[in-house]
Amino acid sequence: MAMWRFIGTVTLSSLLLACSASDDAGNSHAAVNDKKVFRYAMGGSPTSLDPVQSGNAYANVIVSNVFDTLYNYKYLARPPELKPGLAEAMPEVSDDGLVYTIPLKQGVLFADDPAFPGGKGREVTAADFVYSIKRHFDPATRPQGAWLWQDRIKGLDEWKAAGSDYSAEIAGLRAVDPYTVRIELTRPYPQLLYTLAMGFSAVVPAEAVETYGREFGIRPVGSGAFRLESFNTAKAVLLPNSNYRDEPFNLIEEGYDPATQAYTRVAELEGRSPPFLDRLEIDFIQEGSALWSSFTKGDEVQMASLPDEQVEFVLDSTRPVILKPEFAEKYQLATGPEAGFVYSNFNLDFPEMGYNPDPERNARNKALRCAVIRSFDWPARNDSFYMGLGQVFPGVIPPGVPEFDEAMPRDSVTRDVAYAKQLLADNGWTPDNLPTLTYGTVAGVKSRLFFEQFRAFLKDIGYPSEKVVLKRYATFGDIVRAWSRSELPFVSKGWGLDYPDAENTLQLFYGPNASPGSNDANYANPKYDALFEQAATMAPSDERTAIYRQMNQMLVDDCVAVTGLTRMRITLWHNNVIAVPDSSIVGGGFLRYVDVD
Amino acid sequence: MELLQYTLRKLIAGIPLIFGVTFISFLLMVYFGPDKTYDLLGKNPTEQQIAEIRSELGYDQPFVARYFNYVTELATLNFGRSESTGEKVSDLLARTIPVSLALVTPGFVLGNLFGVLLALFAASRRGSWVDKTIMGCSAVGMSISFLIAIIAFQLVFSSSYGLGWFPVRGWNIHSPLDYLRYVTVPTLATVFVALGYNTRFYRAVIVEELSRDHVRTAKAFGVSPAKILSVHVLKNCAIPIITRVVFSIPFIVISGSLLLETYFGIPGVGKVAFDAITTGNQPVLKAVVGLTAVLFVLAQILTDILYRVADPRVSLN
Repeated sequence: MAMWRFIGTVTLSSLLLACSASDDAGNSHAAVNDKKVFRYAMGGSPTSLDPVQSGNAYANVIVSNVFDTLYNYKYLARPPELKPGLAEAMPEVSDDGLVYTIPLKQGVLFADDPAFPGGKGREVTAADFVYSIKRHFDPATRPQGAWLWQDRIKGLDEWKAAGSDYSAEIAGLRAVDPYTVRIELTRPYPQLLYTLAMGFSAVVPAEAVETYGREFGIRPVGSGAFRLESFNTAKAVLLPNSNYRDEPFNLIEEGYDPATQAYTRVAELEGRSPPFLDRLEIDFIQEGSALWSSFTKGDEVQMASLPDEQVEFVLDSTRPVILKPEFAEKYQLATGPEAGFVYSNFNLDFPEMGYNPDPERNARNKALRCAVIRSFDWPARNDSFYMGLGQVFPGVIPPGVPEFDEAMPRDSVTRDVAYAKQLLADNGWTPDNLPTLTYGTVAGVKSRLFFEQFRAFLKDIGYPSEKVVLKRYATFGDIVRAWSRSELPFVSKGWGLDYPDAENTLQLFYGPNASPGSNDANYANPKYDALFEQAATMAPSDERTAIYRQMNQMLVDDCVAVTGLTRMRITLWHNNVIAVPDSSIVGGGFLRYVDVD
Repeated sequence: MELLQYTLRKLIAGIPLIFGVTFISFLLMVYFGPDKTYDLLGKNPTEQQIAEIRSELGYDQPFVARYFNYVTELATLNFGRSESTGEKVSDLLARTIPVSLALVTPGFVLGNLFGVLLALFAASRRGSWVDKTIMGCSAVGMSISFLIAIIAFQLVFSSSYGLGWFPVRGWNIHSPLDYLRYVTVPTLATVFVALGYNTRFYRAVIVEELSRDHVRTAKAFGVSPAKILSVHVLKNCAIPIITRVVFSIPFIVISGSLLLETYFGIPGVGKVAFDAITTGNQPVLKAVVGLTAVLFVLAQILTDILYRVADPRVSLN
């Protein structure tokens, strides 16, 4: 009897606990059946939703929906094109390219929030934008985006050096009046507008930042299409921002292409003002089996990337990507290259394979690096890990940017074992005198497989397996520390594009960006640096593209990196959803245009 | 009075344990744990920015000062804010621990309850096919990883490829019925895996008890088998059962269940603790480690008190 009383008590307690510990995500399914609910799944979770800390792609998806940026990418234009967001129009730029005058839309309101007097969101002004950029230069906010504007906006670095006093003016970053922003640069910066479309530049209200302090990262307040209802390690729930401005959807202005986008039914949105949803739920699901089960359940996740392990089960063909009939009946599909690429680079700081004070050894090291590059079997890597869907390309200018050169010679991504062996032999390399190559990676099964495949490639050219060693790091932060401190001779990584301009990838090898900066190859080539500096101030043009391609060829010729592969994203969504998914470069901006039947 | 004195004595005796655990864990965190600096940095950092972040994180302070801060935080239960989200650690734990408790309690209770019942059943028929079947099934349950069990149960009970009776993911609970919808499949997976371990452990305890003189005497006096098991065996097995159950509680409270939470999309403390470990989120990690140590001391006290309840011959002195 006592036992049953105990069981009853425990059961009742659990029920009570569960009801009190409910996810504050809001309504149950029954309550939202008559509303437009859309569930989108991402493969990872953000940590902070404060724009100054929105460095990861997952955070950016939410930030771009909760906050406004001065510029956005057109929803449907491929390749990406900018359009005014919070800005009224494209900027007025001075002839010397140094002064940008940006008019803001009037009457735009922040979402209602207790941080504002009376809980009513106030109007967004130019001062808010200035405040938001200043935050990137205040160490107390732990900013991640300062590198975008550092040493480029007049007076900004000095403002930080003087103690980041928000009441102090900055010569190059001013609110001329409530609706006009003026940015004065130290030198031309053609990528500036792209940076103003990034989550980092999202406009935040000072009142909310001051009210919530560091918790602004979980209680973001912006003027975007949605406001955050709840956020935890499993999902984020967003509701429409009732103060969001009326901006009817215009197919032509958004870059609609009926030939490739008609099947998405996006034309049905013409003339309506977003957001179209009553509730947007973003699930963070890393586990492929759980993601697929949830997606195919019917009343759960409605849009997700196709998990790798389901590719063969779901697709009839990968070239071109076609769904099996039973899935084509229920789901829509879109494919596209990711905005970025995966690659490995040598750390030239290490004299064993990199720069060596002895000119003869230096030349032999270069030959050794070239041999390693020619041993790499990209098609095999693509088939083994990316279902053969990835796009292999030479150099570091990936297909996602306009400067990509389809005609570039493909020698560096074409395996040639005989050539590699010859290179080694011609330069006096034998199994006995080859240096140990330490391959660093984050501990994990897939990382280990990458390494083993790489070691097998090298074995084919006579590189002894015992001289290709693995160094594992427990976390991503640990390996980033090793890269930053130039502790690893061989760096294997991926790069996500911040904007569609090859400058973003070419800077990975710019001398002044050496460790701890993003040039963890520690490539130092004065000619390359001079070309980078020359191109850095040039507006997009054929001349600039030629310089970019020349730099790209230099990297290939100097055998700096084993590069590269752009992964293909396959996105599936239910038939009742009207949407055109975008790649990570434009964040999750497309979510504001999603509708469901 | 005796109980109060005993509790106070044990609490005082537990202080060195808490100091020891916190000191060793803090030492490991500081010198061997992940460096949060590089998790917080932007893409193209300078040495100055690295130094600024390290300073913000307090990494530039001496070890002794940092450890003193930790002990102060533990004493005041004020662990500051998560380095990832900025949320107060106390709020974070208050939000996630109840979710984890609600998630794992049914599986924990049922796993132990059914374990005891099956163990009684098997032990009372020691050597028979019933015993062998139960032990065989236990071995199977122990051999299947929790991860596989979760995926299989999710597939069978939640997905459209199986029965589809329950949600695959989520935790939107506003009524007892909602709770049952979301907790059933995780509970089934938990019970399936826990049952093997529990049954084998409890059976071993019960078999030993069954071979004791007083059981043989009771049998000789013609006491019914049911009464022997429930009154003479189970009661005398209470001490190892209490030990196993009570010492599992701190893990349940703090650790939650990472796999259940990630696969079923449940916002509990398991995922929070895991993320804190892998990213070097020290305020959260310090709270989890410190509170676990405190809970173990409390569990030890509770265990001793329950020993006394189960067996009045046990002295608290």
